[in-house]
Amino acid sequence: MNKILELCLGILTAMGGFVEIGELTFVLNAGSKFDYRLLWVVLLGVIGIMVYGEIAGRIAAVRAQPVFNVIRERAGIRLGLLTLAAATLVCLLTCAAEIGAIALLWQLLSGWAYRPLLLIALVFFLLVIWFLPFKAIERIFGLLGLLMIVFVCAAWSTNPNWHEVATGLLPSLPPGHSDQQLLYAYFAVALMSSVMLPYETYFYASGTIEDKWTPNDLQFNRLIVIVGFGLGGLLAAALLVVGKQILGPGQIEAGLPGTAALIAATQFGRAGLWVSMAGMFFAFAGAAIETALSCAYNTAQFFGWPWGKFRAPRQASRFVLCWIVVLVLATLVVLTGVDPIKVVEYSIIFSVVILPLTYFPLMVISRDSDVMGVYVNGPITNTLGWIYFVLISIAAASAIPLLVLTHGGQG
Amino acid sequence: MRRVRAGRDTLDLYRQVLDHELIDCEDLPCGTVDDMEVEGSVGESLRVTALLVGPGAWGPRLPALFAYLARRICGTQIVRVPWREVAEIGEKIKLCSRAAPLGLGIKDRQVGLWFAKIPGSEKSVP
Repeated sequence: MNKILELCLGILTAMGGFVEIGELTFVLNAGSKFDYRLLWVVLLGVIGIMVYGEIAGRIAAVRAQPVFNVIRERAGIRLGLLTLAAATLVCLLTCAAEIGAIALLWQLLSGWAYRPLLLIALVFFLLVIWFLPFKAIERIFGLLGLLMIVFVCAAWSTNPNWHEVATGLLPSLPPGHSDQQLLYAYFAVALMSSVMLPYETYFYASGTIEDKWTPNDLQFNRLIVIVGFGLGGLLAAALLVVGKQILGPGQIEAGLPGTAALIAATQFGRAGLWVSMAGMFFAFAGAAIETALSCAYNTAQFFGWPWGKFRAPRQASRFVLCWIVVLVLATLVVLTGVDPIKVVEYSIIFSVVILPLTYFPLMVISRDSDVMGVYVNGPITNTLGWIYFVLISIAAASAIPLLVLTHGGQG
Repeated sequence: MRRVRAGRDTLDLYRQVLDHELIDCEDLPCGTVDDMEVEGSVGESLRVTALLVGPGAWGPRLPALFAYLARRICGTQIVRVPWREVAEIGEKIKLCSRAAPLGLGIKDRQVGLWFAKIPGSEKSVP
């Protein structure tokens, strides 16, 4: 019974922690600008994160080795250090955007000035990570992030044309001139990156070790990534639908978290507004904590320092110092007044560049029967893993040129 | 942990030792094998005499600019762990002794002292 409860909680936590500010913004804007034409990218990204999430979780459960331990071992110090620096920068920017988005939400509710709210958010995160156990952090923010389901209900209540929705699962170029098609390609790359954000894999694999999983938990691992991330993907698809249905007709751009809250308010009134605000708060706060901890996990694992919430802060002191520094730096970034949505757009585009560097060592080690024994990749995982490796490499190579050619996604 | 016994298995130093995590006899992570010290000369067989741990050992393995930055930011400290201290070689390399007498994990203990006065610093919260 306990196992079933654990499994359900794991699935719901994975679903609740799936969406963060970058994904929310890109998915809503993708729906607003291109109708359902980018729905296939959401599906593609969700299968990708399932494949690599399962691999990372399996390696962690079998070898007790998290992602950056594997990267250091297989890619060596040169390429490994480059990956670490890039991953840290991307996680730092994502964390900054989440903190900024939370301050914007609080500003909407309280009317207080933005900058003091950023400092309050910093103190809140320092206290939460210092005092709460890993399991509690995972569960509180993951489960309460499920309030975002209000957007699934909103999508349903808009009565979309389901035939058109289904057509969106097949790739199709938008009509119009080449600028519009370049923008479509930019959104496709950004959307895929936002669904497959690398910190999700870092955090998931480290969490597997925090939760002391063993090879006996591999079925759990598979079910959680397939069902949990699958339901998270459903939430992302619902956001795309409401983007098309509600923002599309008015050509409204989702530039602030408040836009998403208004979508829920138009469908369900005051209750929808409150539920969506609460859901976004827990989803963004969960992402801020995950990115800050991911930076600390990665650095500690790369250099072989003691790490983990299961150790007392004094015993894993450099790990603790890392997440404190990341939270402080992330707050300083948004204190400069930079738009958090702009920050997250750049972090998502740069994320795609490091995806191949992160996933190649994982693929190499997970298909090596010398190190994985009977838990080596099956033919389906191997095939999907390499197909996705080619796809993310193409996306990585085209991300920066597309960013420049579309003037940062402005068209 | 898969054990490698001398004389029975071949040890690929590059794949099985270099860049692997070190843990002390109490299973506490205490660094990564950043480089190795090898003894021998032309015509003789080579012998690993020590594992090198610390930012000072990164230099020869990094491009010049990265090596310079690493030196400026992280310093040049190297801890030499004699090969005889290696107890087991597997996913992680286990040492026979605790980290402190070998000079490993010193920074962790120093930073740990800063946190010692904060409530909750001694308590693990799994």
